[in-house]
Amino acid sequence: MSEKPIKGQTKEEHCETKVKKPAVHIFPEWCKGCGICVAFCPKQVLEMGRDQKAHVVYPEKCIECALCARRCPEFAVYVSEDHIKEGKKKNGGEK
Amino acid sequence: MPARLPYAYRYLRSKKKFPHVWCPGCGIGIVMGSIIRAIDSLGWELDDILMVSGIGCTSRMPVYVDFNTLHTTHGRALAFGTGAKMANPDMKVLAVMGDGDSMAIGGNHIIHAARRNMDITAIIVNNNNYGMTGGQFSPTTPMGARTSTTPYGMIEPDFDICKLTKAAGANYVARGDVYHVIELDSIIKKALSGSGFRVVEALAPCPTNFGRANRLGDAVNMMEMLRNDTINIVQAEKLPKEKTEGKIVRGVFVDRNEIGYIERYQKLCDRVSAGVRK
Repeated sequence: MSEKPIKGQTKEEHCETKVKKPAVHIFPEWCKGCGICVAFCPKQVLEMGRDQKAHVVYPEKCIECALCARRCPEFAVYVSEDHIKEGKKKNGGEK
Repeated sequence: MPARLPYAYRYLRSKKKFPHVWCPGCGIGIVMGSIIRAIDSLGWELDDILMVSGIGCTSRMPVYVDFNTLHTTHGRALAFGTGAKMANPDMKVLAVMGDGDSMAIGGNHIIHAARRNMDITAIIVNNNNYGMTGGQFSPTTPMGARTSTTPYGMIEPDFDICKLTKAAGANYVARGDVYHVIELDSIIKKALSGSGFRVVEALAPCPTNFGRANRLGDAVNMMEMLRNDTINIVQAEKLPKEKTEGKIVRGVFVDRNEIGYIERYQKLCDRVSAGVRK
């Protein structure tokens, strides 16, 4: 998704809604801290915490490519169901 | 915790068995996710699928998924799968095996399943060693690689799973890797929807044993290696030979539409029963 706000919505409003509803979620109980999701996120949304688990730090940057969820070996990361787009390559696609 | 669970949790035994036993950064979990996404996009019922496995790291997979599952003896996933498919031809049989499981002790089963064109999808997760028992070398360990039983480097040449099964007569042979996960999803989806014997080799990192023995770094470094050292078959055909040398080619190698074993067996049954009536 581009950073463009939807029609009839200011940019601030758009960013606010994104912050309120992050598309990417992490189950800390299942995360083993391999760092794959952090390393290969095209927008650096995730970061490793001190507890050696991934954390969502910049949810507003997320472009919902779901590559973190696809590459998570622990099933600990997921992107909300209606956000996942099949084979989306333009943004954050595989290099 | 958010209220709505993602689609993958419908397929997992998430309340009893998670978190799973695989090491941090192990690629088997990614392959399992790929299989689940492929089955989800095909819209199959959970009770129509049978997942068979042998022994090994990869063969722990049926423990975590909520299909019909069968965890059998070492290397015999295809043998048990063949029996299950013959007993119930409507069942969609999926055999998940590791490289040691399928190529070493189950090597005979895979070539004969490919020769018969048995209607099974074999998904082989290749992590280049026996991960579960401490990183011993397997038939797919590359030449020169160090493992716990080859501390001075492997001196045997390795098996190419795709070439072997292609020569043995499989209907569909493809190779993917866990870095290029969207490609792996589509490869597995295509394999599952076909007929005859279908083989998917999925390259996966083993950071705990193989990575440590060869000083390849952590899981992220090994994923980067998969990104840099593999090349798609479409790209490889366009590039000159010097540029593709030493790279692992991934993609679909064989996509035949030969008649599978079950169909031939049904035809035989029809012919014989018609002959008896006369």
